[in-house]
Amino acid sequence: MTDMPRKNFWSGVGVAAVAAFLLAWVIPTFGGRGFAIGMPPKALATLGAWLMLGCAGLLILVSAIALKRAREPFFALPAAGHLWHQTWPFLYVLGFILLIDRFPLTWVAPLLIGGLLLLLGERRWHVVLLTATIPAAGLYGLTAHLMRIGVV
Amino acid sequence: MIGFDAILASFAAALHYESIVIILGGVLLGYVVGVIPGLNRAVAIAIAIPLTFYMSPYAAIAFLIGLSKGTAAGSAVSAILLNTPGEPSSAATCLDGYPMARDGKPRKALKVGLLASVIGDLLATLLLIVVVIPFASVALKFGPYELAAILIFALVFIAAMAGGSFLKGLAAGGMGIILGTVGLDPETGAARLTFGYAELMEGVPILPLVIGTLALAEMFVQLDEYRRNKGASVIKLSHDKADDLSYQEFKGTLPTILKSTGVGAFVGALPGLGPSVGAFMAYGLAKRSAKDPDSFGKGNPNGIAAAEASDNAVIPASYIPLFGLGIPGSVSAALLVGAFMIHGIQVGPLMLRDHPEMLFTLFSGMIVASLLMLAVGWYGLRIFARVTSVPPHIVIAVVIFLCLAGIQVQGYGTFGLITVFVFAIFGYFLKKFDYSFVTFLVAFIVTPMLEMNLRQSVILSGGEIGILLERPIALAFVILTVVMVLHLGWSSYRRRMQARFKARAGR
Repeated sequence: MTDMPRKNFWSGVGVAAVAAFLLAWVIPTFGGRGFAIGMPPKALATLGAWLMLGCAGLLILVSAIALKRAREPFFALPAAGHLWHQTWPFLYVLGFILLIDRFPLTWVAPLLIGGLLLLLGERRWHVVLLTATIPAAGLYGLTAHLMRIGVV
Repeated sequence: MIGFDAILASFAAALHYESIVIILGGVLLGYVVGVIPGLNRAVAIAIAIPLTFYMSPYAAIAFLIGLSKGTAAGSAVSAILLNTPGEPSSAATCLDGYPMARDGKPRKALKVGLLASVIGDLLATLLLIVVVIPFASVALKFGPYELAAILIFALVFIAAMAGGSFLKGLAAGGMGIILGTVGLDPETGAARLTFGYAELMEGVPILPLVIGTLALAEMFVQLDEYRRNKGASVIKLSHDKADDLSYQEFKGTLPTILKSTGVGAFVGALPGLGPSVGAFMAYGLAKRSAKDPDSFGKGNPNGIAAAEASDNAVIPASYIPLFGLGIPGSVSAALLVGAFMIHGIQVGPLMLRDHPEMLFTLFSGMIVASLLMLAVGWYGLRIFARVTSVPPHIVIAVVIFLCLAGIQVQGYGTFGLITVFVFAIFGYFLKKFDYSFVTFLVAFIVTPMLEMNLRQSVILSGGEIGILLERPIALAFVILTVVMVLHLGWSSYRRRMQARFKARAGR
């Protein structure tokens, strides 16, 4: 048996939790108010959330039955190394987004590309240098052109 | 309705050198992206949309269509030389392409793939032109009841056909609907789900959404898979004369190409099925109808021809529901709708009434793109074969940069960068947990149209559901939707019961 029923179960739980949160608080509070002749402003969003909740509920039920029948455990935590391998790219990009907020992207770009290449095991300095600088130079040229024609 | 002179004028516009240069740029970029494993059509269109901001609407769409077609043809190169499909839809090409290349006939395999791609694409484009105009003329007569019923049917159909679980498909559709309602309510002017951010008043910005969920999320998935796929070897092209494709050999594949184009066009016209289904269906059909089915999977050129002709026929055919009804049936069609929206054009049957010249110029541009695809693929064979050796870590790093640069150049600022990041996390989970991305994106794109038509229907009918009895087309689509949901539920239940009985019998 694959880990698909377990994945379905937990993703169903996640989707159902989000849908319940949307229905209980987010849509009633931020979904919009006002007199409408036809549909109220929050009608379609509420319908979408109910659709999510209904489908996720069924998914939880079906996958829970499949897990029970196969006598598979509901919990199977991934290894810490695997989790870290999946998480670091997000943290890396988020870090650079924070940097871009303070410095121009044309300055940050060579670091972003070069750093990622080094992390992925590239050790040829000419490859790192060229890959890091050519796209940044291209962006610089494009920005300069857009500024000259008055778009940016 | 547009006259003959106007049609000629639209062809002349598509054949203008500026137009050809733009389409050529799109095809070339698409080809390169298609050749590089790990980059796919959706990623390419998502990161190319910012490039089209400063183009005219026609140039922008022609560029994106050229790019879309180029990726489909280019993905065969890595499938044949690397045994790694550039696009998931080229996986069927690997089955015979790689064994043929390994047997010392890589150029022959590439040329069969290219010719099948071009013929499949060209014929499906012609079919699109012939079918879409009567289709759109009928659709123009539809009222809000019919359009609302068709849109609901299309969403359920896409959720069912897009592969994977129907329940997960529908849940993804629900997410798309919720995000599609963000912004000012068109009737009351109330701010919906904006949380006080002025940037969300006009809805979730489409560019950060598609770049985040498609391109950046895909790069995170690629990074995850990178450690597993290191060290693939590329087959080099030789100068051997025996490796050239002869006219007789090409003629032998022609019946398969024509049959597979039909399969691809049929699959493409149905929203949600996508090119992978088309390619494998055509491959299976070619194998079943062949005199020597055992030779398939061992380097039979008909296997390559079937997969490539069908794969490429799906793309133009998937524009039939798009231009005919305004329903995007695939991720690339949904992205095109996004590009149309950015340029202020409402895609769908109204294009035939409001922008007929634009529609015909686009059709002409699509034919030009098919022909350019042949020239680019034929003369660039050796160069593209070299592109397959670009290491994936370089591609990943550069594409991540392009995702952020695309947002930054458009002036979305920090809000755009954070939005793109949030949608990258969202897209990553959609991919990892196998939630239908196409249903999510199509639901997000069509929600404003669905809401407008539902609202008009409620106002016109005064909330009286019995009005449907006077609208047979709308009623038919409502019944079809209900029947489809019941059928899917029943067949899924039966499959489960059969599996249970089998498991019991096996004990």
